[in-house]
Amino acid sequence: MTECAIRLLNLTKRFDGEQEPAVSALSLDVPRGRTVALIGPSGCGKTTTLRMINRLVEPTSGRIEIDGEDASARPVAELRRSIGYVIQEVGLFPHQTVSQNIATVPRMLRWDRGRIDERVAELADLLGLETEQLGRYPDELSGGQQQRVGVARALAADPPVLLMDEPFGAVDPIVRTRLQDELLALQERLRKTIVIVTHDIDEAVKVADNVALLNIGGKLEQYAAPDDLLHSPANAFVEQFLGEDREMKRLALKRVGDLPFERGPVLDLGAAPAEARALLGDARSEWLGLTQDERFAGWVPRERVDTAATLDALPRELPAAQVHPGSTLREAMEVIMNSRTSVAVIDDGGRFGGVVTLEQIRSELARRAS
Amino acid sequence: MIPLPFAQAAVPRGIGLAEWLVDVDTWLGRDGILSSGLDTVTLCAAVMGTGMLIAVPSAALLAHSRRGELTATALVTLGRAVPTFAVAALLVPVALRRGWGFEPWPIFIALLLLALPPLYLNTYTAIRHVEGGVVDAARAMGIGERTLLLRVELALALSVIFTGIRVAAVQVVATEPIRAFLGGDGLGRYVRDGLGQNNDTLIIGGALLIAALAATTSVAVSVVERLVVPHGVRRLKQRTAARRGSVG
Repeated sequence: MTECAIRLLNLTKRFDGEQEPAVSALSLDVPRGRTVALIGPSGCGKTTTLRMINRLVEPTSGRIEIDGEDASARPVAELRRSIGYVIQEVGLFPHQTVSQNIATVPRMLRWDRGRIDERVAELADLLGLETEQLGRYPDELSGGQQQRVGVARALAADPPVLLMDEPFGAVDPIVRTRLQDELLALQERLRKTIVIVTHDIDEAVKVADNVALLNIGGKLEQYAAPDDLLHSPANAFVEQFLGEDREMKRLALKRVGDLPFERGPVLDLGAAPAEARALLGDARSEWLGLTQDERFAGWVPRERVDTAATLDALPRELPAAQVHPGSTLREAMEVIMNSRTSVAVIDDGGRFGGVVTLEQIRSELARRAS
Repeated sequence: MIPLPFAQAAVPRGIGLAEWLVDVDTWLGRDGILSSGLDTVTLCAAVMGTGMLIAVPSAALLAHSRRGELTATALVTLGRAVPTFAVAALLVPVALRRGWGFEPWPIFIALLLLALPPLYLNTYTAIRHVEGGVVDAARAMGIGERTLLLRVELALALSVIFTGIRVAAVQVVATEPIRAFLGGDGLGRYVRDGLGQNNDTLIIGGALLIAALAATTSVAVSVVERLVVPHGVRRLKQRTAARRGSVG
């Protein structure tokens, strides 16, 4: 197995009657089982590049290798059946039911009926489609559901490669976020080699392992992991494209669960008040967090702790401002901003999982991505 | 004067319309309605068959390859303006000179010119209006051009093509009776003979027969459409109609 599933070598596309090439001498390696986002302003040739991979557009010069094999040497139909393709318009066959749509490629590959039915059911389950929806027609589904069917159809014959052209561009922001999360979960399980075209930098850094930022004419400005891209833009163009809030965007890439554990000024209800007073002194905290049976029970102000005989008896004034290990640091920061204690409590499946402070977030940002 | 090559339908004056229509002799025999109707139906079927063979494949192929846009537009404007009667009349001397006789070439060609525009246009526009994303996705899944055209584009265009067929067929059936004025027979003979004999019964009866056949044709095409067009395609048309708040 080679390390890189798709390799673009000096890829150039010049459309008839156009002065400037749409893509010029683009070289890019897409590692196996990874998601690479192609992003850039309109006219940067990102869609053209994507369409050259499954030969919907034939390159003027250069070479595309898929699994080390020249893509132009393979029969085009066979090549395309091994590459899933998802587009913004979805492009479901409107005269066919959902299950017929999903079964398109398996039918062409002449799978037997039982195997096709089994695969359709499996994909419906994977994409969260109801069995009842399989007999429906595409126009009876919502935009988000249609795109789920589009993804199911693209995955039907289990292709190793998936190409996605602005797949979530036509749905509303809430559905888009959900579909992005689903894609991440899907990729966690399937480990396909995915190339996704988008014009949304937030989407790119969220779903991709590597981001290729293209300039007009298909010129590659930077190819890096999202955190590297946001932390150290290669040039002024990249910097401008990423926007002012690069560091905030980085926060969206990191999860609370990745932070080193910090217990914070938090004790069990059964602890001695003296211990609590020492802890508050060290932490210079105005609030003491209490846990009961490993669950976070609430906050009490420092002055009450100073006079308390037992922690147990103290009235707990504030509930926890909670995050989960899966929350992004950006979400944690919002919670902290809205919390009087300036601390977010991590709820790890019901158990107290430590705290997140602004200081922790700051030092995480300062840490250069590995 | 060229002697008229056909027998006149002879009806005694003063016979009422109902009486004429229920008379067995009106229907049977060489000059009967059944025989004349069969003439008309045969010619119209030949015209429609030829028209579909010419228009549907050529329009489908051109639309599929995204060519011939101008031809299509030109046909809209031109096609609607073809004076069928004049064309047929002009072709009669040509046909006679070549020894083809009065019938059926002049009328056949004139009717064919009438049928081609709706057939061609409906096929062409219906295929061109298949959503780009659908065609794109189909190609990307490795569907070949032939299958794409037949199973996707033509399938999706089928309802609109059938509308073209219905329009063309009704026009052809309704226009075919001019054949009776150009040296032929068919259902138009009753109107012609009625005019010649100043016989209202024949004129009205003949006109009713033509109208009835045209209406039947429309229904017949719809029946065939129901049998031929798959449910998935048919419901799309119903949905579009429902959205527009119209029928058919």
